[in-house]
Amino acid sequence: MSTPLIIAIVIAIVLVLMYNSLVAKKNQVENIFASVDTQLKKRYDLIPNLVSSVSKYMEHEKSLLEDITKLRSEANKPNISDEQKIALDGKMSSVLGSIMIAVENYPDLKANENVMHLQRSLNEVEEQISAARRAYNQAVTDYNNALEQIPTNFMASAMNYKRKEVFEINESERKNVNVKELFNS
Amino acid sequence: MKTISQLTNFYYKSLHPTLTELEADRLALKKRVIIIQAILAIIATAILYFMFKSSVFSIDILAFVGFSYFALAGFTYKLLVKDYAKDFKFRVITPLIKEIDINLRYTPSLHISEMHYTRSGIFTSSPDRVSGNDFVKGKIDGISIEFSDFHAEIEHKDSKGRRSWSTQFQGLFLVSEFPKHFKGKTVILPDTAQSIFGDFIGSFLQSNNFSRNDLIKMDNPVFEKEFVVYGTNQIEARYILSHTLMEKILDFKRRSNHPINLSFNGGKIYMAIEYNKDLFEPSVFHSLLKYKIAMEYVETLHLAIGIVEELKLNEKLWSKL
Repeated sequence: MSTPLIIAIVIAIVLVLMYNSLVAKKNQVENIFASVDTQLKKRYDLIPNLVSSVSKYMEHEKSLLEDITKLRSEANKPNISDEQKIALDGKMSSVLGSIMIAVENYPDLKANENVMHLQRSLNEVEEQISAARRAYNQAVTDYNNALEQIPTNFMASAMNYKRKEVFEINESERKNVNVKELFNS
Repeated sequence: MKTISQLTNFYYKSLHPTLTELEADRLALKKRVIIIQAILAIIATAILYFMFKSSVFSIDILAFVGFSYFALAGFTYKLLVKDYAKDFKFRVITPLIKEIDINLRYTPSLHISEMHYTRSGIFTSSPDRVSGNDFVKGKIDGISIEFSDFHAEIEHKDSKGRRSWSTQFQGLFLVSEFPKHFKGKTVILPDTAQSIFGDFIGSFLQSNNFSRNDLIKMDNPVFEKEFVVYGTNQIEARYILSHTLMEKILDFKRRSNHPINLSFNGGKIYMAIEYNKDLFEPSVFHSLLKYKIAMEYVETLHLAIGIVEELKLNEKLWSKL
């Protein structure tokens, strides 16, 4: 076999491998985003129940409850983009957090079995969402790296692949709860 | 759970009368061992001397005599210390374990079942021979835990059909319930590739390891440097390995000071701590009263039994109650 032919074959193989690895990375991101989405939906499904059980007690936090209902209906709209979903998730987490803190101020509510059950369900879903987000971020990082690193960057720009956004994990989620600080405040 | 210093106190105070009795036994035994070993050594030298004289000496004979001598010496040593070791386990290790937690059962002659070892998936090939001892089983804070000394070996045959054994794992093997639901398998191993070959080639080798499941990169840089994670499900692995659990595993590793392998499979956590020696065995040549020796028993037990508290395995999620 002549040398130019061998070189051509090697180049072809390298190109195919690069192409396949990029496609695999993109699909991995999409695949994991689907799981994130399922978990987020699970959480949205818990919200009407939560709102109806706490609204009787929470007179002062009406606006929070309105916010969360609004966020849920926005998230349930068809055809929203992945970026919008990511942004909604961030808002949702912070509003839910404030509601959960507010619950602590109502002893009746805290002791309510239905609320306790909801709280636990939310905690569990929250943990699963957090895991799914972290998996998604890693997949996106791998994908984005391939988009920028040599030699796959040339191939990626030819394929018109665009960078994707990661979920921002808020700092409070990373830190362990400091019990001492809770008592001091 | 009792602290290490409380246990050390118990060891030196409550067990003191026992330890002094055992110490007397040990000194007598040590004498016997030295005498018998000396006799064996003299016999071996004498045999070699006469062979050398009678000019039938060859390297094969030297190897044969040497090999037989070491085998015999090892065998007689084990035979001699057997009763002492039994006594030690019954009178020192048993009360020590009871002191840590009354609900734990200790059986010196048994070991953890081979099924647990293979099901853990920490090691990719199943062992050809397993042995072990010092089996502890019980519940701590309602969480079942069992562990033992474990030794797994692989058999090799060379072209001449000669058999030899190599160690796959030797150390402490632990099994406990895990408080979260999961379906797949996640394995955490010490990160050897990345520390030998560096980040780039190391992670390339890891992601192309065909005997393992998918490589899972964790988002804790310290953890990622110390360990490599393989699993069947990217999300589930992160659900199990929360940020807090990763920190706790790192702490545990620092405390144990030995390489640790973990796996999560079928609702259980498996942990293999490599000590590369038989644990909880008394030595004839070291006093049980010595602080360093005592601490080894106390610390190892404390570490193993403390895993439930340390990794917060007792904080069950509501759905698993």
